[in-house]
Amino acid sequence: MTAYIIRRLLWVFVLVFVVSLLTFIIFYLLPSADPAVLRAGRQPNPQLVEEIRKNLGLSDPWYVQYFHYLRDIFLHFDFGTSYQNNIAVKQQVMDRFPATASLAAGAAVIWLVSGITVGVISALKSRTFIDRAAMGSALVAISAPVYWLGLVSLYLFSKDIGRFHIFEGSGAYVPLTENPAKWFSGLLLPWLVLAAAFAAFYARLLRGNLIDVMGEDYIRTARAKGLTERRVVFKHGLRSAITPIVTAAGLDIGILLGGAILTETVFNIPGIGRLVFDSLQKSDLPMIQGTVILATFFIVTANLIVDIAYAFLDPRVRY
Amino acid sequence: MRKLLVALLALALIGAGCGGSDKKDTGGGNVSKPAAGAKKGGTLTVISQGDVDSLDPGYWYYQYDYMAMQQPTQRMLYGWEPDKTVPSPDIAEGQPEVSDGGKTVTIKLKKGIKYSPPLQNRTVKAADFKYSYERCFLPQVGNGYINTYFGNLEGVKAYTDGKAKEITGLQAPDDNTLVFKTTEPNAVIANANALALPCAVPVPKEYAEKYDKGKQSTYGEHQVFTGPYMIPRKGDKFTGYQAGKRIELVRNPSWDKSTSFQPAFVDKIIFLGGNDATVGSKKILSGDSMINGDLGAPPTNVLKQALSRQKDQIEVTPSQGNRFIGFDSAKKPFDNENLRKAVIAATDREALRLTRGGPTVGNIGSHFLPPGLPGFEEAGGLKAPEGLDFLANPKGDMEVAKKYMKAAGFPSGKYNGPKITMVGDDEEPASNTGEAFLEVLKKLGFNVNYRQIPHETMYSKFCQVPADQPEVCPNLGWGKDFYDAQSMIDPIFNPKNLVPTGNVNYANVKDPEIGKKIEAAKQETDKAKATQMWADLDKELTAKAYLLTWLWDNQVQTKSKNVNGVVSKFNTSWDVTYTSIK
Repeated sequence: MTAYIIRRLLWVFVLVFVVSLLTFIIFYLLPSADPAVLRAGRQPNPQLVEEIRKNLGLSDPWYVQYFHYLRDIFLHFDFGTSYQNNIAVKQQVMDRFPATASLAAGAAVIWLVSGITVGVISALKSRTFIDRAAMGSALVAISAPVYWLGLVSLYLFSKDIGRFHIFEGSGAYVPLTENPAKWFSGLLLPWLVLAAAFAAFYARLLRGNLIDVMGEDYIRTARAKGLTERRVVFKHGLRSAITPIVTAAGLDIGILLGGAILTETVFNIPGIGRLVFDSLQKSDLPMIQGTVILATFFIVTANLIVDIAYAFLDPRVRY
Repeated sequence: MRKLLVALLALALIGAGCGGSDKKDTGGGNVSKPAAGAKKGGTLTVISQGDVDSLDPGYWYYQYDYMAMQQPTQRMLYGWEPDKTVPSPDIAEGQPEVSDGGKTVTIKLKKGIKYSPPLQNRTVKAADFKYSYERCFLPQVGNGYINTYFGNLEGVKAYTDGKAKEITGLQAPDDNTLVFKTTEPNAVIANANALALPCAVPVPKEYAEKYDKGKQSTYGEHQVFTGPYMIPRKGDKFTGYQAGKRIELVRNPSWDKSTSFQPAFVDKIIFLGGNDATVGSKKILSGDSMINGDLGAPPTNVLKQALSRQKDQIEVTPSQGNRFIGFDSAKKPFDNENLRKAVIAATDREALRLTRGGPTVGNIGSHFLPPGLPGFEEAGGLKAPEGLDFLANPKGDMEVAKKYMKAAGFPSGKYNGPKITMVGDDEEPASNTGEAFLEVLKKLGFNVNYRQIPHETMYSKFCQVPADQPEVCPNLGWGKDFYDAQSMIDPIFNPKNLVPTGNVNYANVKDPEIGKKIEAAKQETDKAKATQMWADLDKELTAKAYLLTWLWDNQVQTKSKNVNGVVSKFNTSWDVTYTSIK
């Protein structure tokens, strides 16, 4: 197992390297706009554009630029400076990360707890009214775009612009370290909105898996041995049925840590997603690179955690 | 995407979809002046989508930079009182003294203006302006207008080529005298318009120089302030700024009200970025002590509701900018003036305006100078210039179009030449405008390869690159830098400004006669004469049909009920230093 983890960790670095190289090449060869021209304002003087290009190192061949970029990361953990506002990428990413992590973590807890609970109940009560109502609601939740759901929930339930003043509105996020109570209340509605579609999907996925698993021979054997139904379901059925959920959760959380653009936008949560969006709009290459590397790191790390978790969940899996 | 229209137009209306009058309705009295008996104190919150472009005064150029940073935090040689259209002396003691046939401009400075901590004991000196202008030429600052308005200062070339350590045309003979020397008369320095742009924010060299070294200047994050407000700091770091999220401004203890025209009513101003346009607009309209920053007009449904129920909280002002369709006059078939006139004649400009929301979004344009700018009335005012039949009917006139098409060499009255290319913005409402104009071209027989692409790419890869420029760019616009027609006409039509990338001479105008007339107007220091010269140029350029100006934009501002909002005419946004809480 230790050798496997070390091997996978090495792959994390290889993958991050490959993704960073690809991103660099894509934005170098096919930039949506010339950063030097953007930086030079709306009446750019050719001499100024050329000087800015030289100053930012944009005149160097792409591999030289990439080498300098990697060198700064490895030697100084320096991801460069935003072309747009001259502020260090690392500083901006670190500044934004807690908000995204708070959003993703809270939403994940809600969607895992509610998705698994509803999925199990639906599977065990399959084809009953409860099952149909739960799965019908899940379908609605999956179909509702998060942006729309966010706006509707704000119009209905937020304290500033809503009809029923229950939850804090947009822009209510405060860091956990500043005020834990406000952090919780400010994120509650975004968590619920973001978790809705995921919870619905997980509930449907788990329901299907659990129904299949509960029909397996080893479940019949367990029952025949006289185990309680609760033990049969949770120890034997759910443990097997939940593995696809772990895979999906790992990837989803990894992706969300790279930024939940729509939720962050509607609720004005200053996270990575907004930063990525703004950087893409402004062709801010250092910022795009920094956030892509971060997102890649989270996704491959989440994958690694999922693979390790498999070994504990599924006795058939051995490394 | 970003820079071009952001100047004024990126904040302009997005699909108001409602009727309205072209007349300005202030709702709550004169909003360019503070309310009588405006109260001091309180916290004003500004709801925004984005952030300032940079913290560096040398980089400020766009509307939100003025609103969030320049007006509240930094004084300049000259500033803009909200109800005035000429710059008022701020750190300067009075108007510029012009001598040597307009080539020398001398400015006396007020004494005793101080910087914010940590330089609270340091007074502003003339040398600080010399440095502030010099650093604006540095690539690590990346100023967007310095070459346009100050490019003819004596010694600029030697300085930018690295052959001289300072600009000889900028002189500080003593602490309170600043002298500009130019190689030709420079009207916008002489009339102080260009001295009310943010390179006129003083920068103390001995403090700032270390931050101006390296790839990009970091002076912005360490700057010292002269205005009524400042970003609070702890040691060397600002504690009141989080990029893209929040700017917090508190009172600057070094600011002396007796030397400033700004009243600075509120105690604290918080700019909150990252807001969604719909949610943000609703928050402002239903909340307290809030105004809009760079949110622009509320989305259609919110605006409609607000115009009927909360009219006092909505302010519509002309942006002094325009929207136009660009034809590449250097390429076939748009090198043919008659063909350009035919296309303009066939265009229903009212239909184009509807794609952005109808009359509320502004007046239908015909010539280039927008309402409010010197030369606008002289160039024809709200009506199309006289004698131009191809602009006579804002709904379009196919008969006139056919006449010009025949004159262009198409006897059938319809185009039957090679396929043309049009590249437009892929986002609404600009994409709707492009599609409406496509129908005009089709009606005239054009076979069009129409590509819709992201805003920034449209500019930086196509419409601003003459070598790759399509025949038609349907989503262009421009806003003034100050109340002088030069800032509208010179960049867009001067052949001197043709550059391989970042080109804003969209029509690729190469006519040397036009160039000569523009240069002459730029050097005219007599205001009345200059105004007439620019108006004549506007008429001539319109008659040559280089571009199709179809809209003179309005801007919509929103405020909470308890806010006495004051709009800066210059910046067409709220002036936070004049705005107060009821």
